[in-house]
Amino acid sequence: MSAAAELIRGVSLVKRFGGIVANDTVEFSVVEGDLVGLIGPNGSGKSTLINMLTGHLPPDGGEVVVRGHEMRGQAAHLYAAMGVARTFQLTQLFGRMTVLENLLVPGLTRPGSTWRSVVQQARSTLDFLKLTHLEQLHAKNLSGGQQKLLELGRCMMLEPAILFLDEPFAGVHPHLRDQLITRIQELHEAGRTFVVVDHDMESILRLSKRLVVMARGRKIADGPPADVREDQAVLAAYAGS
Amino acid sequence: MRGLHIYILLAVAALALVFADRLSSYWMHVAIIAMFYGILASSWSLLAGYAGLFSLGHMAFASIGGYTSALLVQWYGIPIPVGMVAGVALCCVLGGLIGWVCLRMTGPYLAIFTLGFSEIVRIIFATEDDITAGMAGLHVERLFSTTSRLPYFYVAFALLVVSLLLMGVIVRSRWGLFLRAIREDEQAASASGVAVARFRILAFAIASGFAALAGSFYGHYIGILTPSIGGLDFMAVLVVMTVIGGMERLPTAVGGAFVVEFLLEVLRGYGQWRLPLFGIILLLTMRFARNGLLTPLWLRFVQLGEPRAVAATALRDVPQKDPAQ
Repeated sequence: MSAAAELIRGVSLVKRFGGIVANDTVEFSVVEGDLVGLIGPNGSGKSTLINMLTGHLPPDGGEVVVRGHEMRGQAAHLYAAMGVARTFQLTQLFGRMTVLENLLVPGLTRPGSTWRSVVQQARSTLDFLKLTHLEQLHAKNLSGGQQKLLELGRCMMLEPAILFLDEPFAGVHPHLRDQLITRIQELHEAGRTFVVVDHDMESILRLSKRLVVMARGRKIADGPPADVREDQAVLAAYAGS
Repeated sequence: MRGLHIYILLAVAALALVFADRLSSYWMHVAIIAMFYGILASSWSLLAGYAGLFSLGHMAFASIGGYTSALLVQWYGIPIPVGMVAGVALCCVLGGLIGWVCLRMTGPYLAIFTLGFSEIVRIIFATEDDITAGMAGLHVERLFSTTSRLPYFYVAFALLVVSLLLMGVIVRSRWGLFLRAIREDEQAASASGVAVARFRILAFAIASGFAALAGSFYGHYIGILTPSIGGLDFMAVLVVMTVIGGMERLPTAVGGAFVVEFLLEVLRGYGQWRLPLFGIILLLTMRFARNGLLTPLWLRFVQLGEPRAVAATALRDVPQKDPAQ
């Protein structure tokens, strides 16, 4: 692992909500080409960690470093500009904008982008996600699974170095879930780096090359999925939850 | 024939300009005031309809623009257009400042904040009567020395057209797309790379500038300014106009201003009873046609002369069923 290939690093991240420590000195780093599964019981601090790593929540302690740049105090859109894309636990689309417009927004924020090239890129993204026939529909009218796909497409339009997917399989029909997994795998093979948070253990194990486990705001395991599954601390955390 | 609606609009505009002198002085005044409201409604639509920033301080900026221009012309004898530009510039800066102060506010919090701001402005204008002549009204130098309203009609027309063209360019550009994204979901917009704070401030600055343009024209047309122009009554009329027309499009907002101003005059015989009538129309609009009463008509008008398939796309605002179900 060369330092140059490191895309994002959370250094001793701390976040408190009132008396609750949601993240307690968490170290987390992702290198180029990784496909990390991030799991843990409810309330273990996964989403808080992602929110800090993508600039949506300021840490109370520690530092986020994106491609060697310290991001202290930077707004979320600057993380996006640095190639950090994300989806949300509860899908957050631009509901009363069309499917195509949802993709144009991130595309047009890229410096030097032109309408023509972004529309072209958006159409090929829709084609990749098999959503072309819905192009002119308002995003709020899509089914839950289609919305998850569109949110993934919106990330892709940023041409990101790393994608954080927060519970992409929650509430998604198995057929669409398989489609989503296939799309993620294809994107990964094309060189994209992913961090996927989910409770669907089967999907996570199918996808990830590296598994990170959190419990009570701390990282308790980090390694190849086969090793992590045998880890006593992980078994205890899940049995205890 | 593509773009037929544009030719129709151009033809109507040309007819309005050619036959304007046939209007009675009274109806010409009504038309001028309707165009004044048209600038205000479209700029408020940019802020509240496109960016989702439901500000109740829009008329305060109109009054600041009006007083700034009037006082600068009075004190320094500068040409009226220069005074109007100064009013617009000041309100762009002040609007941006208000936008910055309430960056973290949305919905009712933003509405109450901007309402408070507009009341402060109104009370300052009312109490500082050494400068503003207070409730007695500030005499403002008129734009033209003639008693005819015709030149004012042309100026109002030009200001409305230029405002709509400028705002039209903005809402059709990527800025317009970003503003709508911010309206829909600020967090998702920032995750998509939109500089949310910058665009919120920008929306306030631009909309306030156009409000000031309308306000300064109003002062130099009527010849007198009172603090009430920045009050809640004017703001309520503006909200009624924009919401009834359709606040998410500039043309429907202007249409709302025209229709309501026209009806206010036609129904003048009913005195105060016409106001509850507009209240009821507003309630019905919010309940049954939240995109405004004119939006469906406008969408049909835009598709005139378009091939059928394109027309179906233009009507995409009509709620559609989920094809996956």
